[in-house]
Amino acid sequence: MTDFLWHEVDEKEKADIQQEAKKIMDDFSKKLSKVSKLKEAEIERPLSERKELENANSLNIDKDIMLKNAPESKNDFIVSEKGEW
Amino acid sequence: MTLKNNLDNIRKHNKDINAILELNPSAVADEKKSKGKLKGKVIAVKANINVNGLKVSCASKVLEDYRGTYDASVIGRIKGEGGIIVGMANMDEFACGSSGETSAFGSVQNPNAKGYVSGGSSSGSAASVAADFCDMALGSDTGGSIRNPASHCGVVGMKPTYSSVSRYGLIDLSMSLDQIGPIAKNVSDCALLLSVIQGFDERDSISHDSPEINLKDVEKIPRDLVLGLLDFEIQDARIQELINEKIETAVKKYGWKVKKVKIPSLDLAIATYYPLVYVEFFSGTRRFDGRRYGKKIDDFAGPEVVRRLLGGSEITKAEHKGRYYHLALKAKKLIADEIAKVFKDVDCIVSPTVPRLPHKIGEEISVEDMYSYDALTIPANLAGNCAISIPAGKVDSIPVGMQIMCDSFEDGKLLQIARSIEKL
Repeated sequence: MTDFLWHEVDEKEKADIQQEAKKIMDDFSKKLSKVSKLKEAEIERPLSERKELENANSLNIDKDIMLKNAPESKNDFIVSEKGEW
Repeated sequence: MTLKNNLDNIRKHNKDINAILELNPSAVADEKKSKGKLKGKVIAVKANINVNGLKVSCASKVLEDYRGTYDASVIGRIKGEGGIIVGMANMDEFACGSSGETSAFGSVQNPNAKGYVSGGSSSGSAASVAADFCDMALGSDTGGSIRNPASHCGVVGMKPTYSSVSRYGLIDLSMSLDQIGPIAKNVSDCALLLSVIQGFDERDSISHDSPEINLKDVEKIPRDLVLGLLDFEIQDARIQELINEKIETAVKKYGWKVKKVKIPSLDLAIATYYPLVYVEFFSGTRRFDGRRYGKKIDDFAGPEVVRRLLGGSEITKAEHKGRYYHLALKAKKLIADEIAKVFKDVDCIVSPTVPRLPHKIGEEISVEDMYSYDALTIPANLAGNCAISIPAGKVDSIPVGMQIMCDSFEDGKLLQIARSIEKL
């Protein structure tokens, strides 16, 4: 039993949650495996590709906001990974 | 009610209800130039739908400072018809929840049942409508996340047919199940908002055209209707009694027929749904690595999100092939086929929206009991059908919703049936 109010999760709680999640999934899997009438769930699609928009690159993204959202940016670039090359 | 009234209500009551996370600074200016089908209509937007310039936080520390860089397709359509975005609505963190408690920014109070959960995950959207913070709201529904809070808060909430409303700009919980939908005080306003947001969108890879919603037809009473009353025992029999009374009244007044219907594998719905959600959510959140925006989700999320991430990570391992997700896909097809069979004999399936009354905010509840709130709403998501929750009355002074489900792409018919029952 637990309350569902948000709180920070420490490593110990993460380990407990992981075990609990696995148990829940196992219980669900056990329940479903007992059902004999399950069949393959293929979906037939007439087309496997979709037509791209003509101006597929012009998505009207606000570049200024995008750069402000980034943890680190430099001019027109988001700096996402630094390393010694 | 005008925008000024809504803003006054927000100023007075949002500190208690906590439904709105951020106000739109342009709302007053937008009202002045509002024209179109949604002229003057004030709309709250769930915080997982992109609005250019507003915080699309998903109620999470991971994205608490993230601002939308574009308008989701549904937002573009709303603005194009003069809808006024009042602000971003609180929700369960990353839509992981059914109570409105898992938000990193505080839980949402139920405006019509003080001290009780508002439901989730579109908690703030439903509460905003109930509290007169707005005329309508957008939510998203994966397993009941529009219908559940609509039921608890005493308002109308609809999950449209899967693929009929563009998901472009929605931060997904589970991409094979998610659908954006309307929440409003009444069915007519729900229909109005849906008529604006639905329609084919090339930017959503599964988008489909669907029959246009005729708002005049929604107000007509359908004749020769056969209602399917779902045969399924729920936790609180008083809720079922309320639904049965409503059906009886409708049948007497409109000359409709009613028959009991069964979905034989309905008790598998929860066991089918959660493995799909765990896996698709885990997959869909790998982008939240803190590099281009936000923070790393694994380090900054709350317990329910962590549960789904760790669970999803575990069951997608190669060694578990065929045991979880694949099995759930098969069960999904079984349930969808059973529902399709039921629709050969009835026009709609009616049931309570939620099998029990909402619990109190912060009350201890097992994970299994929390998941069981979704037992009656999940099937519509698994089958891709349309479903709506309308107020059915109160039990212990707490609002209770009635769910009506129709076959895929019968959204107009669904709204017509719902409106007819609402008029009783």
